[in-house]
Amino acid sequence: MFNTKKTLVAAAVAATFAAGSALAMSSNSGENTTAASEKINGKWAANYKEIIKAHDGKYLDREVMDKILGDDVNSLQAKLDPNNPYSFEVDDAIDGGPHGNAQCKVPKAFVEVWESAEKNMKADYVAKGFGTPIAESALKVWDINVDGDGNGFPKVDKPMTVEKGGTVFVQFCGMCHGEFGEGAKGYLPLAVDEDLVTVDFTDPAPMKTIGNYWPYATTIFDYNRRAMPFWSPNTPAIGDAGYYGITAYLIQANAIPLDDEGTELEDDDLATPQVIMKANKYMQNQGNFFCDHRPITHNKRCMKDCPDYLVGDGAGDIHNYRRARTLPDGTLQYNVNERLHEAAPGVGHKGF
Amino acid sequence: MTDNRVEEKVALPTEESRNQSRRAFLKGTAAVAGGVLFTKAASADYDPAKAVEPYKGKEELTEVLQDGPWRKRLGFGVRKYPYGVPTPEVSYIQRRTLEWLTPDSMASITMTPLQHLHGIITPNGLHFERFHGGAPEISAKDHRLVIHGLVERPLIFTVDDLKRFPSISRIHFIECPANGAMEWKGVQLNSVQWTHGMMSCLEYTGVRLSDLLKEAGVKLDKARWVIPEGADASGMSRSIPMEIAMDDCFVAYAQNGEPLRREQGYPIRLVVPGCEANMWVKYLRRIKVTDVPLQHREETSKYTELMPDGTAQRFSWYMEPNSVITYPSPDFRMQGPGKYYVRGLAWSGRGKVAHVDVSFDGGRNWHEARFTSPVLDKAWTRFEIEWDWDGSEAFLMSRVTDETGYVQPPMPQMRSVEGTNNVYHRTAMVTWRVHAWNSKNGGLIENVQY
Repeated sequence: MFNTKKTLVAAAVAATFAAGSALAMSSNSGENTTAASEKINGKWAANYKEIIKAHDGKYLDREVMDKILGDDVNSLQAKLDPNNPYSFEVDDAIDGGPHGNAQCKVPKAFVEVWESAEKNMKADYVAKGFGTPIAESALKVWDINVDGDGNGFPKVDKPMTVEKGGTVFVQFCGMCHGEFGEGAKGYLPLAVDEDLVTVDFTDPAPMKTIGNYWPYATTIFDYNRRAMPFWSPNTPAIGDAGYYGITAYLIQANAIPLDDEGTELEDDDLATPQVIMKANKYMQNQGNFFCDHRPITHNKRCMKDCPDYLVGDGAGDIHNYRRARTLPDGTLQYNVNERLHEAAPGVGHKGF
Repeated sequence: MTDNRVEEKVALPTEESRNQSRRAFLKGTAAVAGGVLFTKAASADYDPAKAVEPYKGKEELTEVLQDGPWRKRLGFGVRKYPYGVPTPEVSYIQRRTLEWLTPDSMASITMTPLQHLHGIITPNGLHFERFHGGAPEISAKDHRLVIHGLVERPLIFTVDDLKRFPSISRIHFIECPANGAMEWKGVQLNSVQWTHGMMSCLEYTGVRLSDLLKEAGVKLDKARWVIPEGADASGMSRSIPMEIAMDDCFVAYAQNGEPLRREQGYPIRLVVPGCEANMWVKYLRRIKVTDVPLQHREETSKYTELMPDGTAQRFSWYMEPNSVITYPSPDFRMQGPGKYYVRGLAWSGRGKVAHVDVSFDGGRNWHEARFTSPVLDKAWTRFEIEWDWDGSEAFLMSRVTDETGYVQPPMPQMRSVEGTNNVYHRTAMVTWRVHAWNSKNGGLIENVQY
C-alpha cells in the first residue's frame, strides 16, 4: 500500500527537477545517443527510448521497465516525479503549484504516442478552406467554460447574497439533492462529510461530495451552469447571478474555508467569482489527487505452474472464491427471459 | 493444449492492419505489424475413414425428413422492412439496463449483450448507451462545429463541410471506464452483459482531428489541451492533452457504414481511440484549444479513482488491456463432457493484442489461444481455444498480453493495490466456475471472484 500524496509530494519536491518543460515536444534529439550509464535524477535510464526500441516498442514489458526504472519499477512514489519516464505528472512550475490548475501528461515512455503526435504536428498542412471564419465574440453564448484557474467567469452586475443563493438552490435543486445538499430520491448528495480512507475492502464505499472530494470550487459553477437543473440546464430562470448564488451556497454548506483562518461564508456575503476563487485555494482534498499512475501491476507472462500470488485467491487456493448473492430460496441469480422483458430490474432466477 | 497437432502461426498483414499500424517506426519495414493470425495444421494426410471415427457406434437417425411449411409457400417480398430488423426469434438479444443502477433513464446506461455477439463488430442497434442528459434529436442541418481558442483562425463547420475533408475509417472498441464497476467488491451478477457490457466495437468514419485543428491554425507552441463539448443537455466536456488529440483522434459522422445513431452522438462525435468512452464527446459542437485543462465535473468529481488511502487518480485516459471469455459464460450451460471451443474477446487501449492465454484451473497453468479475427489497433480481437472438458469442476480465466508487453493481472492483485472504492478501470481478470457435470447444478457456469 502507498502513502498519501501529502507525504509523497515532499519526497518528490526534494528531488531535483531537470531543467526544461516536461511537455516539450522536440527537445529529445540528444537522448538517443546518451550513454546507457547516464541517469535521470540519478535514478532512471536516460536512454529509455533506445531501450524501448531495442525491445520492439514494448514499453510496459516487465524486462524493459526493470532496465529503465530498476528498483523503482513498482514504486508509485517514483511515478510522482514528473521526470520519471513513466510518470503522468507535470512539473509544478507548469501546473501552477498545489492549488493551481493541475495538469497531467502522457508519459514520455509511451514513445509511440509521442512520435505519432509529433509527426502529425510537424507535417505541413494547407487549409482546405471548407470552414467559415467566425469571431470569438460570436461564441459568447456557447463558450461556457470556466477552468480551474477561474478563466471564463461571466461578469455579474447584481450579485445575490449567499442566503438568496440558498433560496434558489432549494427552489431548483432541493427536490433531488436535499435542501442542505444531503441528497434525495437516489440522486447525489452534495454536502456529506465522510472520511475517504477505508480500512478493509468490505467497508462501504465512502460518499464523495464537494467538500470532501472535489478538487476545484470553479467546477461547481461550471457544472451547475452547464448541466443543471437536470431537466432544464443553463436556464435563464436562474441566470449567472443565480448560478453564482448556488455555487456560494454549496461552498457554505460544505464549510469550505476562504482563508488560512478558516473563515467561512456568511449568509449576507455576496456570491461573486472572487468568493469562488478564494474557496478554490482551500478545497481540502485537492492535494490528494495525483495523475494516473497505471499500470499498477507489472507481471511477467507465466504459462506453467504459476506462483501462488497469481493463482486463485492470491494465495494459490482456487476454491476460495466468492459468489453472487443468492435469492431467498438459496438459489443463484441468473438472467432469464421472463425477468429480462419486465420493467423490473433485469435479474431473476428460474430455480437452477 | 489437448490438441497435439503441431501448430504454425502465419501472420498475414491486411490492408486495414497496415493502415492502423502505428508501430512500424519501431519495427522496421520488414516487420509484420499486426497481421491476421491463422493457424495452419501441419498434421498427417487426410483420411476419410479416420475423420469420421468419433461417430463410430452412434445411433443413426432413420426417420424421413419432411419439408417445413416455409418450403410450401412464398416468403415475404422485398421492402417489407425498408430498414431491416433482426428476426423476432432473436429478440432476446438486446441491450439491457439494471434499473437500480440509476434513478432515471436520461442519465443512465445500457449494456451490450457480449455473450450473443460474434466476431469483433457490434451491430449499431446493440451499441451500449450512456447518456448524461438523454439523447437529443438534433437535425444535421442545424448542427455546427466550432474550433476556437488558441488558433490563428476560429472556424465554424457544417456537417457537410466536415464530409468534404479527407476521410478515414477505423475499427475501434469504445469502453466506458466504469465497465465492470459493479464487480469491485465482489460478484454481483451472472452474465458477461453485466460484467463487461459497457462497451462495443465498431467501424467509425470521419475526419482526423489533427487536420481540423491545423485547418484552424492551432498554435502548437502554446496549446496543451483540447476541450471538446457536446450540444446536448449535459454539455459534456473533457480535457484531452494535445499529444492524444494529435495522435489518432477523429471526428466521426458514421458508424458501421451508416450515419451515427442518436444514441451515439448524431450527427457527429469525437473518437478518442483506446481512451475512456467519456472522452468521446457526442453531439460535438465545440472544440476549444487551451493551455490549461477545464477541470470539468466529469474529470474531477467523476472519472477519478479513489484509492484505499483516500488519495485519488485523475486524468486516467487510457483503457487498460482486458479480456473475457464469452463462450462458455454464465448465460450458457455446458452440454456435457466433451470438446468445446472456448471463445472470447480481448482488447487494449494502448495498441494491439499480442497474446491471449486461457486457464482452466484458476490461473495455475495457461494455454495460448489463437486469434480468429483481424488483430487491429485498439480494437476487439476474437480468440478461441479448443478444450476437452472431462466433466470435472473447472475455473476458466482469460489473460491478455498487449503489444506493449503489459500482462493482465488477477483480481486479488489489483484489489491489493487499488482497493474496492475505485469505481472505474476494473480491468483484472474474471473467473467462470464450471460446475462438475455430476454435481447438483451440473454444467452450470457461475461468475465467481477470488
